[in-house]
This record gives sequence, C-alpha cells and structure tokens, in this order.
Amino acid sequence: MSENSYRSTVPDLVTHEIIRGKLLAAADEMGIVIARCSMSPVIYEVLDFACGVCDPRGQLIVQTNGITLFTGTFGLQVKSILRRFADDIKPGDVFMTNDPFDGGTHTCDIALIKPVFINDNLEAFAIAVAHWSEVGGAVAGSISPSATEIYQEGIRFPGLRVCRDDIVQQDILELIRENTRLPTMCIGDFNAELAAVRIAETRLREIFDKYGSEVVRDTYSYILDSSELLSLQAIKQLPNGIYYANDYVDGDGITNEQIPVCAEVRISDDKMTFDFTGSSPQRDGPINCAYGALSSAVKTVFKALVDPQGPSNEGWFRPLTIICPEGTIFTATKPAPTGWYYEGSAQASELVWRALAELAPDKLSAGSYMSLCGAYFFGEDPSTKEMFVHIEPAIGGWGAQSNCDGTGALIATTDGDTYNYSIELFEAKFPLRINKYALNTEGGVGAGRWRGGFGVIREFEVLINGAHTYCSFGRNIETPWGLMGGKNGSLNYMEIVSGDSVERISRISHKDLNSGDLVRIVTGGGGGFGKPYKRPVKEVQEDFLDGYINKETAEKDFGVSLDENGNVDSNLTATLRLGDH
Amino acid sequence: MGRMAVDIGGTFTDLVHFDDQTGALVAEKSLTTPKDLTNGVLNSIKLADIESETITFFVHGGTTVINAITERKGAKTALITTKGFRDVLEIARGNRPDLYNLRFQKPKPFVPRRLRFEVEERLDASGNIIKPLSIKELEDIVKICISENVEAIAVVFLHSYSSPQHEIICAEYLRKNLPDISITASHEITREWREYERANTAVLNAYVQPTVQKYFNRLQSTLLKQGFNCPMHAMQSNGGSASFTWAKSHPITLVESGPSAGVNAAALVGSLCKEDNVIYLDIGGTTAKCSVIKNNQIDVTTEYKLEWSRINPGYPVKVPVVDIVEIGTGGGSIAWFDEVGSLKVGPVSAGAEPGPACYSQGGSKPTVTDAKLITGVLDPDYFAGGRIKLDIQKAKKAMETIAKGLNTDVISAAESVIRLADADMINALKLISIQRGHDPRDFVLVVGGGGGAMHAATLGRDLGVREVIVPRYPGYFSAWGMLATEPRRDFVMTHLMRADKIRIGNIKNIFDELRNESYSYFKTDKDIVSSSIRLEARIDLRYQGQEHWVGVPVNINSISIDKLIDDFHVEHERTYTFKLDNSPIELVNFHLTATASVPRPHLNEISSDNINILKGRRRVLFSEDGEHETQVLDRESLPAGYIAKGPLLIEEKSATTLIHPGQKLRVDEIGFLHIS
Repeated sequence: MSENSYRSTVPDLVTHEIIRGKLLAAADEMGIVIARCSMSPVIYEVLDFACGVCDPRGQLIVQTNGITLFTGTFGLQVKSILRRFADDIKPGDVFMTNDPFDGGTHTCDIALIKPVFINDNLEAFAIAVAHWSEVGGAVAGSISPSATEIYQEGIRFPGLRVCRDDIVQQDILELIRENTRLPTMCIGDFNAELAAVRIAETRLREIFDKYGSEVVRDTYSYILDSSELLSLQAIKQLPNGIYYANDYVDGDGITNEQIPVCAEVRISDDKMTFDFTGSSPQRDGPINCAYGALSSAVKTVFKALVDPQGPSNEGWFRPLTIICPEGTIFTATKPAPTGWYYEGSAQASELVWRALAELAPDKLSAGSYMSLCGAYFFGEDPSTKEMFVHIEPAIGGWGAQSNCDGTGALIATTDGDTYNYSIELFEAKFPLRINKYALNTEGGVGAGRWRGGFGVIREFEVLINGAHTYCSFGRNIETPWGLMGGKNGSLNYMEIVSGDSVERISRISHKDLNSGDLVRIVTGGGGGFGKPYKRPVKEVQEDFLDGYINKETAEKDFGVSLDENGNVDSNLTATLRLGDH
Repeated sequence: MGRMAVDIGGTFTDLVHFDDQTGALVAEKSLTTPKDLTNGVLNSIKLADIESETITFFVHGGTTVINAITERKGAKTALITTKGFRDVLEIARGNRPDLYNLRFQKPKPFVPRRLRFEVEERLDASGNIIKPLSIKELEDIVKICISENVEAIAVVFLHSYSSPQHEIICAEYLRKNLPDISITASHEITREWREYERANTAVLNAYVQPTVQKYFNRLQSTLLKQGFNCPMHAMQSNGGSASFTWAKSHPITLVESGPSAGVNAAALVGSLCKEDNVIYLDIGGTTAKCSVIKNNQIDVTTEYKLEWSRINPGYPVKVPVVDIVEIGTGGGSIAWFDEVGSLKVGPVSAGAEPGPACYSQGGSKPTVTDAKLITGVLDPDYFAGGRIKLDIQKAKKAMETIAKGLNTDVISAAESVIRLADADMINALKLISIQRGHDPRDFVLVVGGGGGAMHAATLGRDLGVREVIVPRYPGYFSAWGMLATEPRRDFVMTHLMRADKIRIGNIKNIFDELRNESYSYFKTDKDIVSSSIRLEARIDLRYQGQEHWVGVPVNINSISIDKLIDDFHVEHERTYTFKLDNSPIELVNFHLTATASVPRPHLNEISSDNINILKGRRRVLFSEDGEHETQVLDRESLPAGYIAKGPLLIEEKSATTLIHPGQKLRVDEIGFLHIS
C-alpha cells in the first residue's frame, strides 16, 4: 500500500453538509452584524430583520430570521431584481427594494440585495431586510393605521441600484435624508444592512475559493432537495382531505366592521394547496398584505408542521401551492396601503393553523391573541427638544396545547426572537412612565382541560403635554379560538384614561396625549384545549392560589367550588361538574 | 509553603498542589463523593500527601451552584418587588427564539406567583424618589414568608441600578426581621439596568444561597479541623477567586467556575509562552468550549444566560462570566442520519455512560471517539494510560451504519464523522474570532482538557492561527487554572450620559466610587493577603440610538474625553465595519476590574535528555492529508528543545496529540508542545 493510498476525499454528502454549515454560519454572521450595527430599536430590540443567501435564480438557500414575516419574501424579491435588471447585474452592485407589490411587505422593510460574482459568474445573492423606524409619509413611523393609499406610507424604492462598483450612490442617500423624519437612524440602518451583505460576500467568496463553483452549486441542490424530501414525508403522514377555516379581521383602520376571510387547505398525498379564495377584497385601510407576506404566513405554519427547527430554504416549500385571486385582503395590489400588513399576514397564518389544528395537535396549539398590537408614541421631549418615536409590539396569550397550558406573555406568530422593551431602558429614554406591567388575569384566558396563556397589561403614564399615540390592535371583537372543546380566550385593546374619561380603542390613527393621561395596552389570553371540567380540581386550585383565576372563574368556567383560602368544597364541585362542559 | 487547588467534577475530584520553594507540582485524582463532597476533597488531600500547615492558599472549584439550579434543588424563594411589577419575572422578555414552533414554552420562573410580592415604592430613572418605600406593607409580607416557610428572598426594585436606596432599606428590614432567611438585594449582585435580567439574577442568587452557605461552612470547618489555616477561596465565573465569606453571600458568581478556570489556565499558558492573544479550546465528551483571550485579558461579559440555546431563551444572569461559546459536539457525540439521509454529528452524546461503542460499556452508536480509534489516532491499549481498553471491532461495528448510509467503507465513514465534527468546531471558533473582528493569524490556539489535543492541529490549521500549544497536565487543566487564579472582582455600573454633555469630573466621580468600593472590598476581607491591587477600567459607549455598545479601556488616572471618543470610533469601526463621525455618543456602563496580585506558579524546566522517546509506529488517516505510517512518541520522555516534523502522534496518559504531515513540532523548555 502506497503512502497515500486511502482516498483523501470524503463522500460528497459529507462535503455538502460541511458547506451547508458554512453557509448557515455566513447567514448567522449577517444577522449578528445587523443586530449589532443597527440604530433602530425595532431592529436591535425587536429583531425585525432577516438575512439570507439565494442562488442565482433567486431560490432561497439559507436564511436566518429574527421574525417569521420574512419566511417567504426573499426569493420573490431577488426574482424581482432579476426581472428588472436582467443582464444589467454587475459585480459591485447593491439593489434596494421595499415594494410590497413585488415580493416585499410594507414600505418600512427595506431589503438590500447584493449579487455575488466569482470569476465573473453570478453565483449567489446575499440579501438583508430590516424594518427602518421611519421612512416618511403621513405619520411619524410611517405606518398610519388610517392610510388609504401606499403613497401615504413613505418613500418607496422599487428596486434601485444603490451601489455601483461597491460605491454607494450618494444621491440616493440624500433622497432618503430629505424624505424621512429620522435621517440619521435611516442611514445607520442602511449601513448596517450594507455591512451584512458585504460580509456575506466575503464569506461566500471563501467558500467558493475552497470548494469550487461546481461543488457549491451541487450543495445548493443538496440543501433544497433534502428539505423537500422531509416536507413530502411530513405531508404524507397527514390524512388526505379538504380542511376549512373562516374567521374575521376586526376592522381595517377606516371602519370597525368585521371583515370575512377564509382558507381551504387541500391535502392530496404529498401535495398541499392553500386556497384563500372567498376572502374579502382588499380594503381601504392598511391591514392588507400582498402576496409576499401571504406566502410568509403560509410557510410559517407549514414549517411548524414539518420541521420547526430545520433551517429555512426554498426546498421545504416546493410541495406547496398557494391560491388566492388578485386584489384580496391577502393579495392587495397597487396602490392599496399595506402599512400594517402583518395584521393581514397574521390572520392568514391563523386560518391555516386553525384549519389544520385538529389534524396535528402535537404540532399546533389553540388560537392565540394573534395581533402584534403595535402602538406608537411620539412627540417632542421638552428636556432635550428632540423628537422621539417609540414603537412597540405587545406580547400576549397563546393557546393551550394538547399536553400543557398555553404560554402567556409571548410575542405573536408574525414575530420571533423579539424582545419586549425593558421598562428601565424605556424610562431613561422617553418622557413616559410605566406604572404596571402584569399578566392580564382580569381579562382571563380560554378555559379547558388545558387553559390558554395570559395576555399582559402595560400601563403608561404620560409625563409631558403634546405627545401622541396611534395603534392597530386586531382580535378586538373576535376572541382567540379554543380547540377540542376548549373555550375561547379574551380580547386585545388599548384604553386611554384622560381625566374622567375612559376610552377603549383598537385601531386609531391619531390621539393627543397630555401629562397625566394613562394609556393601557391590554392583550388577550389564548384559547383552551379540551373540556374545562376535565381539568383536575387540584390544578384549578393551584391557579387560584397563584392568583391566576378568582373564585368566580373557578366555579363558573371550571366547575370547582373554592373558599377564600382555596379549600375545595368537594360535594359542590361534584354537583357543578355533572354537566358536559 | 505551597498552594492547593481542588476542582470537584462530576466524576473526579482533582487536586493540584504547587510548592512555592521547589517549584514542584503534584496532581492527584479521586472519585467525587456526591453525598458529601467534602469526603472526596479529603480523599484527594490524603492521596497527594499534603501537610495542611504548609498550605498558604486554597482555591476551590465545583459545580454546587450550577447543579442546584439545573436539578432545581435550591431553596424555596420569594421575590419582593415594586408595585405593579411582580409578573416581570414570569413575563420575561416575551421572545420566541424557536420561531416556527407553534407550541413554544417559556422557561418557568424560579419563584411561583404566590410568592412574588409587591410593595409601594418607586424611583425614576435618575434615582429620584417618586413614591417612598412602604414599610407597613413589608410587615405583612414578612408574616406570609414565615407562614409559607420561605428560605430565601430576593429584593428587586425598579431603577435600583441607578440608586439602591430603597433596596438597602428593604433588605435591612428583612435581615432584621427574618434573621434565618437568606436575603439578596439585586444591587448587591449587579448594578446594571434591565429589570427582568436583574430580577432573575437576584432570584437565582437567593435560590442557591442556603445550599452553598451550608456546603462552604461544612467544608471550611472540616478543613480547619484538618489543620488548614490559610485563606480559602472559591473560583468565580470571572476568572478570579473570592473568599468563601464573599462567595457565600454572592453564590451566583460561582455559576461557571469550571470553564472560567479553564480559560484562566489558557491565559496562564499564554503568558508563560509570551503569547498575548490566545484562542482557548476545550473538547469534552458532550460539548466543545472556546473563548478568546486578547492582550492577555480574558473576555468577561455580563450577558450570560443559563440553559440558553438557539431555541431556548434561558435565564439571564448578569454577573461577570468569561465569554465562552459552547457547541454540542464533543468526543462522545453520536453520528446519525436524519430522515432523508443527511449525516449529522451530535448534539446527542453517548456521554460517560454508556460512552462510545469502543468503551465496551454497552454503547452501540458510532461516536467521534470511535472514529478517532478507527482512523488510528487512538491506541486501543493506551487510552487513559491503558486504564480503559478500547475495542476497535465494536467501534467498527458501530460505524458500519454510517458506512452503509454513505455507501462507503468503515474507514472513510470514520473520516467523514471526524470532518463533520471538526467543521462544527471550526464554525464555533470562527464565531468567537473572525466574526468578532479578530484575525486568527494574531493568535495561538491553546488546548485545555484531554479531548482537544487530537483535534487541535487540524482546527488550528483550518482557522489559520500561528501556532497550536498543548500544555502539560491536560487532564488537570481546570485545577491548574485555579492554582493560577487571583482574587478578583468586577464592578459594573450603568450610568447613561451624553458624551457632549459630560465633564471629566462626572466620569472621575463614578470611577472614584467604584475604586473606593473595590478598596473596601479587598481591605475588609481578611482572607485576601495582597500588597498590590491592579485596577483596569473600561467604559461601554455607543452611538445614540444604538443598543449595542463597544467597550473602550481607559486609564482612570488620566482620563481624556477626546481620547475616549477617538478610541470609541476606532473600536466601533473594527467591530462593526463602520463609524458615524457626526452622531452623538452615549456612555452607558462603567467597568472596574480589581485584581489582587499574587505570584503565579511557574513550571520547572524539563530535562533535555533524549532517551526512549519512540513508543512505536502505526498507520493513521489524517483526513485531507491521507494515510501515513506514523511515529508515536512518548510525551513524558520528550526533551526540551526537541523538534520534529509531522506526521506524528504524541501520547500521554490523558491525551493524544496529533500532528499533520507538513506541520512542525517543537517542545519548549517547560514541556509544552508547539505545533505550527
């Protein structure tokens, strides 16, 4: 045997796994760069961003997400650049898009896309998207809950070449500075995203240099094909059939009426079709979403079904078909406003989720508070004479699961590794004080064998005159749904206390606030799972002792009779529990 | 006269003794005695034949704190907090890192809701009183705590990082009225902002305090009876030590003492080799840990989270902890195929029980260790110095499933497993180095523990470090690091200030306060015998509006704001690729690290006689470099100044070092191996 007789290479499969790891690490590194460089709290605290790499055809290869809303958008956005620029894509280019009608979400989400060339061949696209705090338009923060056209939602970048030969086109930055209220922050975020796509290019170059184009392209296929296979296997395990759910969007910002939406999920062997035909036409208000966000919504729930932890790529979603005619609330067309698109997107997720929940109770929970319940506070801080804008999504109650209570105080499906805002940081920065941050035990949760998780109450006290707020809270009429006999949860709303007046609102475009006013953000509890009388008396008693429920709820919802100290009256409880509830 | 360190691990209690006069180092192992850990300590003292009266300094490291937490065996703990905020501990940050899991569950708080109490009191962000503290309400809470048999109480008020005045009054009241209950006020542990993180830190401190107090009291009295009459210290998570007295009231600072000792040892290796920039790697059975030491400074952060993973938010603990990245790949990691035939290694590990297939303890799944045996790196008859006989047939049998799945032979399958494990480790090493703006060419890779030596040369080459160093006593690395430890405390205080609005006096005042605190800390502790205290200061700055900051070292005797700002821009650009010249800058956290200087142990030079170094030869598969007939050298016999070319294997009782073809080995005068 000669000195070097053993093959010095390992099977391709192993090389592909190693390259997959490197591609994922590159996407991770992009995310680290964005989160650390960004100047917008909505990016660094809320992690409202995503990063990834697509192949030269625009197929998503790897992605890291701070939130789920970008699960389906990257491929569409890269394809829009390919369509628009075709043969005019050059090394050193960076493109910028925030067009909801071409794969994007809303105007605040700015995507930077950098083609990566190796030896003059286009080998990949690096893409980063992040929510900028301000892009101009009718209101500070750019997403007016009562916008009726996208033109009121700030500046639009329909796929611009923002870098040529790796040099930033200063004219475009000037345009941004002059059309936004917080130009320093915008340029900071632009730089953060630019740093991210640049670091991706560096890493991709290292990978291609080491393994060569042919091998890396094979790895692309390997990644896509192996994920597709996992999806197909998962779908095959679900029974063939047609599953249906309908629901209502509670108001669109212009009116408070309930807007009907529906979804039909058709499973046939290893194919799954999601059909939203029959859902309301697009609305005047900005809760519409366009196809990109609808695609994210469907893919998010599908991912939960097949493999929640596997890294996202286009392969997982090959067996899916999404059907929805143009011009609906889920497929809005120009010039429909889409500022609060995640309200529409969340609703689309919930429809799919609800249609499939009974099929896969080991993967899905009962209905949740669903809406991000976004609230804005802004004004001029008299101590610094500077403008402030605070945006905050609210966390809320999730539905019960097949083997445990629902999780309380958790961010909605549309977001992900999103943090609430620290009270101490908030008070050091903004002229408002937080008086209370508590579980919403008053509003309660859906009863069941397993109960829903609790929403929260966050009470702000305004410390200056001349502040303002606006908000858009979904699920303000229609409660979170229970599952397998579990009861429904509770509602989301904002409450403003000014002197003697107490006002309950859900979607409002503007409200003046003055010193001493209280603003309460209240989110709902999730739906229950299974019949409430099946909940062991002991667990009801524990909930009472922990102050999650009171005596009345124990009796009314769970059929358990307790005294003030939590002692159970067994006879009365037995009588109460005679019914089927 | 000498110093002694004891490191209590899950299986073994390691003891290392250093004789100040002769420079002799003695290392011993005995079995850990879980029922009463002090027995294991006494056994190892007996084995090492230590004369108690000669010991001048004793350092203890162990897992009492982290075990009490992971096994949920701490005290019944209550929380007292500001009115309106008792649910903050349960609400946590509301994040869902496992974002596609629609059945996500949050980590459960360590205090149930019924034991979370609210009192009237309120400060604003500047520390001004909005509402005074209601003692009246405390009276009622005290009664409930007694009737509920509460064993520990944490006190956390909003903005106590800014002014602890209400926490101080409250803690005093509780200590007076509940003398048998452990009380932790959050500001005693951390002075940084973020109420949830501080609350969780204080709660965990309270939760473990009774257990730790009992344990240290017993150990201390046992050792006293044995005639040990020296300062007794506990290894902390920040690379330094603290007296038992202080550790008993701040036990949560011990949470990662083991890894911290390892990093400390790596820093010592760096300084012995005159290398200021070190990447530390420790490969255990289940995980691999790595950390960066820059300019001979270990990297300490307060961003640590217990039980954190990519899909679990974990429990934040805001005490200074060495910055370590841990990945789920180690020697016992199992190779497996997912449903569609992709090969993966880890995170499931065969652990110590049943262990890799080749241990013949009932394990049948192929592991990284099995792969190393099959490729010839490990000697079946000389594993752990021959104490464990490895069965190559069992290893091959286990590896067959991988070979079948890859449609190849067992040897190629084993190589694949090694390559994948190495790739995972490389990604982790890059995360802490390149992704944080460090250039590996400025670093050496130092291996700690026994498992790392057979991967290090491969990883070091791929990472591009200048040199790989395998120090002596790899099996006692942590205990050795403890021996080299110095009493240390990190003071961190959040103080938000705009750079264009501060005067130099503001900064001086803060550092004066921290300096006084550090002096009084070292002065009041009779167990710290030191003539000089080193102070190192750092300020965290950021562009206004940013959340993340950059730490800039400052000399507290000559602070210049202009220099601070310049340094910040430079450091920001290095870390994040850009700077913003016209953006306002904020100062956020002020750090002061105080270290009491004690002499560090040196190592005696080894002999330069070249006798019987060759143990044998075998064929070894060196991944990309192919298979080679390889000389096996005996580590103990290698002389100082020895130089050789790879391929080589160096064997010792607790480790096998692999050197690739084309790599160079040099043995230095204290017996460390240098591979380049």
